[in-house]
Amino acid sequence: MTTSQEKANATEEAAAPEKLGAPEHREWDLKTEFTPEMLAEMEKLLPPKLNRIVATSLASCIHCGMCSDACHYSVSIPDDKRLVPAYKADRFRKWYKSRYDWMAKVFPWFVGAKPLTKELADEMYDLCWGGCTMCRRCTFNCPMGVDYGMLIRAVRGIMCQVGRVPANLQETVDAHYNYGNNMAVEQDEFVETIEWIEEELQDEDGCEKFTIPVDKKGAKFLLTLNPREPKYYPLTIQATAKFLNAAGISFTISSRYWDLTNYAMFNGIDPDAKLFAQWLFEEMERLEIEYLLAGECGHGYRGLRWEMPNWLGGVPYKITSVMELMAKVIEDGGIKLNKSVWDDKVFTYHDSCNIARSGGVTEEPRTVINATVNNFVDMEHNREDSFCCGGGGGALAMPEFAKRRIAAGKIKGDEIRATGANVVLQSCHNCTDQLKEICEHYKIDAKVMNLAEMVSEAIVL
Amino acid sequence: MENNVSAGLHALMTASHVALVWMATLYAIKIYQLMKKPGPPEKAELKGDRFAGAIYSLANVLMPWTMESTRKRLYFYAEFVVFHIAVILTITSTFTIPFAPWIMTPLVCTVTVVFQALAVLVGLRRIVRRIVTPEIRIISTVDDFFAVALLTTFFAVGTGAFFYLAQGKVDTPWMWAFFALVTFFIFYVPFSKISHYVLYPFGRVMYGQVFGGRGVLNQSKQNATWNP
Repeated sequence: MTTSQEKANATEEAAAPEKLGAPEHREWDLKTEFTPEMLAEMEKLLPPKLNRIVATSLASCIHCGMCSDACHYSVSIPDDKRLVPAYKADRFRKWYKSRYDWMAKVFPWFVGAKPLTKELADEMYDLCWGGCTMCRRCTFNCPMGVDYGMLIRAVRGIMCQVGRVPANLQETVDAHYNYGNNMAVEQDEFVETIEWIEEELQDEDGCEKFTIPVDKKGAKFLLTLNPREPKYYPLTIQATAKFLNAAGISFTISSRYWDLTNYAMFNGIDPDAKLFAQWLFEEMERLEIEYLLAGECGHGYRGLRWEMPNWLGGVPYKITSVMELMAKVIEDGGIKLNKSVWDDKVFTYHDSCNIARSGGVTEEPRTVINATVNNFVDMEHNREDSFCCGGGGGALAMPEFAKRRIAAGKIKGDEIRATGANVVLQSCHNCTDQLKEICEHYKIDAKVMNLAEMVSEAIVL
Repeated sequence: MENNVSAGLHALMTASHVALVWMATLYAIKIYQLMKKPGPPEKAELKGDRFAGAIYSLANVLMPWTMESTRKRLYFYAEFVVFHIAVILTITSTFTIPFAPWIMTPLVCTVTVVFQALAVLVGLRRIVRRIVTPEIRIISTVDDFFAVALLTTFFAVGTGAFFYLAQGKVDTPWMWAFFALVTFFIFYVPFSKISHYVLYPFGRVMYGQVFGGRGVLNQSKQNATWNP
């Protein structure tokens, strides 16, 4: 027989918000200095990080210097030669060679090998966290095919494992781990925000019947979001939802796991990266969804589209993005757009590294843009040749390197200015924040906008 | 031509070829060590073609326009081509001189000499570049300098050896020095950056597979992700 106390407890449990994230609370043991014990631990962590790509990338650099002007850091800050990609990677390579290079066993000085010392580790910390966004532009310009992105991620993972990781970046990962999204947005707060955005959307002319369904089983698309959107950029969600409704697309948002970001891609901790992907996988299963739909987020897109299936050993559903879906709908005539609403603006588009170079999405954004505006000018370096804006690789979560990050954005600022555009389009929230800072710092009179916001304004209902 | 080769030079040539077993063994170990590491998985639904990407990536050495770094440095790329043609001609000749001497006609020898002489100039310029260009200097190791200096010396000696070979003179001090260097090379190269050519196909193929599969390379083969 159930007691009244048990009934009361059961009612309380049913009403309480669900505990999302990992069952146990975690705070990373952050360190401010490398100690001999940490260096010894790093020696143990090195071998498992050496998969075939990383090992080849460490062993095959011929120091030709072809990467020297492929990097936004070395191009924008030419006085600091340490920012040349080969030099940065060599901080890791020297250590690797001291362990694995045959010649280094006898004559380490001959091949530039160095044992892992505090000095070398400090330099690795400075250059591999604060001097590289893992954008892979150097990889695309390397005659040997050295994958700098994978190489830097491997060494970041080793440093992070021993606690030497930028605090803010790790706190972002820990927030995701502890709360299920990287801004620790509570479930009820999130649902309320979505409901408020839905009301705002319905207040727009012609949108009275538009909805943002939450936890709708059997919808075709599960829309995932960057936590910056419910926190700071609700208009992005509103614009995306307007497009999806206008196109008659069946979609939903999960009230549980909806964060598409995965900052474990930046700190190099694979089990966390896999765990965050696993939560979205579970939502796809729970809600019986056909397509996992990435919102406008660079690394988030790559994490879902290209890395999630590898982390999880394959997935039974399809994965795409809002950008690709918009292009498809526009090509199929699924929505009507009035290009004249943007006739007073000149647009350019910044290709996020994780969307273009590492993601293969280069033409879809241009399909969307050309269908929506009349005045579009590409930057000098575009598509897979685009320079990183400087905000990738978790750089925005490392305030200790902010000065260098802004300096490294100079080449992007110069290219934006050269287009004469007053709107910079992009599909990534890290890029958004970095581009805004670049425009402000380099005094470029341009607004930063994502694709959904641009399309939303032009939709004819 | 064999009749003109002294027993000493013949022994030196033989030694160089026996040394190939050493080189092959070390390379086999290198490749084994690499292949036993886990390869890059690809479980995602592809947007492009991994095989075509790998071929494209391997072929990019012949397509300088596909990479910005070579597009912007066509002179540097031309130097690379000349240098590596000289490498191919010279290495091939280490086999043709003892085993198929009839191939080494005056014309073939002269062409080889021309490329070797150009390669000497390229080698010298590359040494200077490593010294005077700050961003190259700070990434250069002793191995980098020694490798290019050794090859430059090798080509310089080869120029003399093949100059006389073109006149039918095989057993010259130049040829002795040439084959002595060949033997040294074979023992030394597996420990040197010169062995980059063994790793080259691995790096290029993996790069091509990853980015070919994602539809970044060979963009004409892209499929839309929602309708594969």
